[in-house]
Amino acid sequence: MQTQIILAGVGGQGILFASKLFSELGLKLGLNVISSETHGMSQRGGSVIAHLKLGDFYGPLIMENSADILYSFEKNETYKTLKFLQKSGVCFANTVGKSTFDKKILSHLKEKGIIFKTFDANSEALKIGSALTTNIVLIGYSVGTGLIPFECKDIKETLESISKKKFIPINMTAFDRGFQLGCANKLNSKE
Amino acid sequence: MTETRILLGNEAIGRGIVEAGCHIVTSYPGTPSSEIIPAIVKFKKQLQLNTYIEWSANEKIAFDQALAASWAGKRSVVCMKQVGLNVAADSLMSSAYTGVVGGFVVVSCDDPGPHSSQTEQDSRFYAMFAKVPCYDPSTPQEAKEMVKAAFNLSEKYKIPVILRSTIRVSHAKQSVVFSPIQKIDRKADFQKDLHRWAATPRYRLDLHRELNKKLCEIQEYFEDNKWNYESVQKETKLGIITCSASFVALMDIMKQFALDIDVLKIGTPFPLPHAKVTNFINAHEKVLLIEETDTVIESQIIDKSKLLGRFTNHVPIEGELLPETICNILQKTLKELGITDIKITSDKKLNLLIKELDLPIRKPTLCPGCPERAAFFAIRKTFPKAIYTSDIGCYTLGINLNAVDTVLDMGAGITMASGFYHAYNQDNNDIPIIATMGDSTFYHSGTSSLLSAVYNNASFILVVLDNEITAMTGMQSTPGIGITADGTEGRKVPLQELIVGCGVEWVKTIDPYDVEGIIKILKEAREYTQKEKQIAVIIARHPCLIRYPEAIIKNPVDITDDCTGCQYCIKFFECPALVLNAEETKVEIDRKLCSDCGICMQVCPTGAIVSQKK
Repeated sequence: MQTQIILAGVGGQGILFASKLFSELGLKLGLNVISSETHGMSQRGGSVIAHLKLGDFYGPLIMENSADILYSFEKNETYKTLKFLQKSGVCFANTVGKSTFDKKILSHLKEKGIIFKTFDANSEALKIGSALTTNIVLIGYSVGTGLIPFECKDIKETLESISKKKFIPINMTAFDRGFQLGCANKLNSKE
Repeated sequence: MTETRILLGNEAIGRGIVEAGCHIVTSYPGTPSSEIIPAIVKFKKQLQLNTYIEWSANEKIAFDQALAASWAGKRSVVCMKQVGLNVAADSLMSSAYTGVVGGFVVVSCDDPGPHSSQTEQDSRFYAMFAKVPCYDPSTPQEAKEMVKAAFNLSEKYKIPVILRSTIRVSHAKQSVVFSPIQKIDRKADFQKDLHRWAATPRYRLDLHRELNKKLCEIQEYFEDNKWNYESVQKETKLGIITCSASFVALMDIMKQFALDIDVLKIGTPFPLPHAKVTNFINAHEKVLLIEETDTVIESQIIDKSKLLGRFTNHVPIEGELLPETICNILQKTLKELGITDIKITSDKKLNLLIKELDLPIRKPTLCPGCPERAAFFAIRKTFPKAIYTSDIGCYTLGINLNAVDTVLDMGAGITMASGFYHAYNQDNNDIPIIATMGDSTFYHSGTSSLLSAVYNNASFILVVLDNEITAMTGMQSTPGIGITADGTEGRKVPLQELIVGCGVEWVKTIDPYDVEGIIKILKEAREYTQKEKQIAVIIARHPCLIRYPEAIIKNPVDITDDCTGCQYCIKFFECPALVLNAEETKVEIDRKLCSDCGICMQVCPTGAIVSQKK
């Protein structure tokens, strides 16, 4: 299996944790893992982009039009990283409230065959009591939609193994919450 | 069973250092090298090793410390970012002549881009300049193995060896296979040899001759070396010579586009394995050279008639070689040679649509609650028309508050202030000059700059922004807090005494959270410099909120209806937590970002920012 994933957002949104989750998942599945993280000069608030490649790759950077999956936690960072997605790629964009993405861009992505899923992971994370779990809710959601090539069981086991002990319950709750809503979306899409 | 773990490139370098049985480790932090030392500290604790690890005050000091250990027979390493090697260059040049005893490796991490540096300089040129061999890894795993090869080579030929990493290796993460730790039991045993360790110029000529001889032998050794190999051998018309992170990017591109092009990968760019390279060139009609960052391999090739590279404008001469850049180089070259026309897949329409959105550029800013912001605000308010010389660190971001005019290199906040003073003083023009410098930078190269300025009668105000940590590079300890690299207690070297020791007679310490207080002191300092024509130093001390969250004294604020929407706070205080409301009529607080430092109360001209406590 070969999968290229981009994770984008701003500092403090848990991009690096999400990147670690997929890296450890790759290791668990016996895949080669190589990734790269870039962040700005400041300690806080700058944009953070992680490139992650699972399978037989040489280098860590993903080229434009090549990524299979894009997780984005912030609107402007979504726009900036859409170029990395390949034709049949999937984007999971965290939105605050209703999606307000540019219509011209959305229709262009549709033409290209890109599946663009928006989801208010932030609100769901707040509902379960921790905004910090937005990243996990979004990943749970993506697994629920069945659009990413990983098994729920594998991701959950990896999540449990990399979470700090005191955060395991809330992280698992966050994942399950996202997963359920992803499954619901999958059913709705089929109808 | 062999253990495989996901490691950051710098952690892999750290692991390689540990696996090589290295005894002494020194460094000064700097992006992208800073994670090597913490990784070694971690392995040391896990494996209960006896490794000596230190954050030195600067790179030259770190270099000399490690070198001396090597002369005593130990294995030692010194790690730094590429511009750190400028600071340590004096030692590097000389040590190439003297040679070493125990394996001695210099890790220098380059920053093509540049992402977090003042230059894009290529450390491999330092290897050429100093005449020492250089390894140049492409991935974290390779970096780990090369570290060990570097120690062995250094010990075999008694020569310093540079391991050049780049940001895409140091900050890549990869599944890395661990090897056992080599146990090297060596007692320090310095063998005196005046004509080597204290060689006078007469003997330096002999040492230079010896160095040249070593290099010839090493070149021979590199000819048949596993780090230089043909990765693709299809006898194609075009061949590509490449190295470092460019190699892996190129291989992924060739796979993606199903291209067959012969590739020679160079892992030891200096001394270049000339026979190997010449054979490769002879076997091809044209040879494209893709190397990062500069022309180290290209310059060493004598017959350039078949070469396509930077000298022929086929490869950009500045900037990072990102996969997209390499793809463009390939497309252009393959088309030019009539080999094939690869379709670059960049989505021009999408890029155009995104461009039309005119997205704001997220510029780096000081954190909410940063004490340095308060100091810069006060400096700017007190002296709106001064020359502000500053330095390398988080506080470079004082540019956002218009309180930083110059950033040259480490220590230049003071030296440039002194230089400006003499340039203006010659014309009898007494303008306010305010130098700013962080605590770690002051320990790095502030003292020699300051005592020289004092000695030469310079007059300006120096504000040392003391947040009690090396913040920007990831919270490394400083001589000021007296905790050493592995967490053991060292001795504190207090700033105040150091500054007085440099000959400064006017030194005051204040917490910059007290904006009015620091403004008052700045004015006093100005009076003193005007009257006495000497240097006044203010230590603005408040702990970094990220490093010391326990030090936060919460003073939450609200913005009342008195806010006129003048945006003075946004413009002059530039706190990310102060934002304009949707109607653009009032300033609001972004509670997600706000640190509750309460400094903005002292900033608002209409008093509309008030404490919740009352």
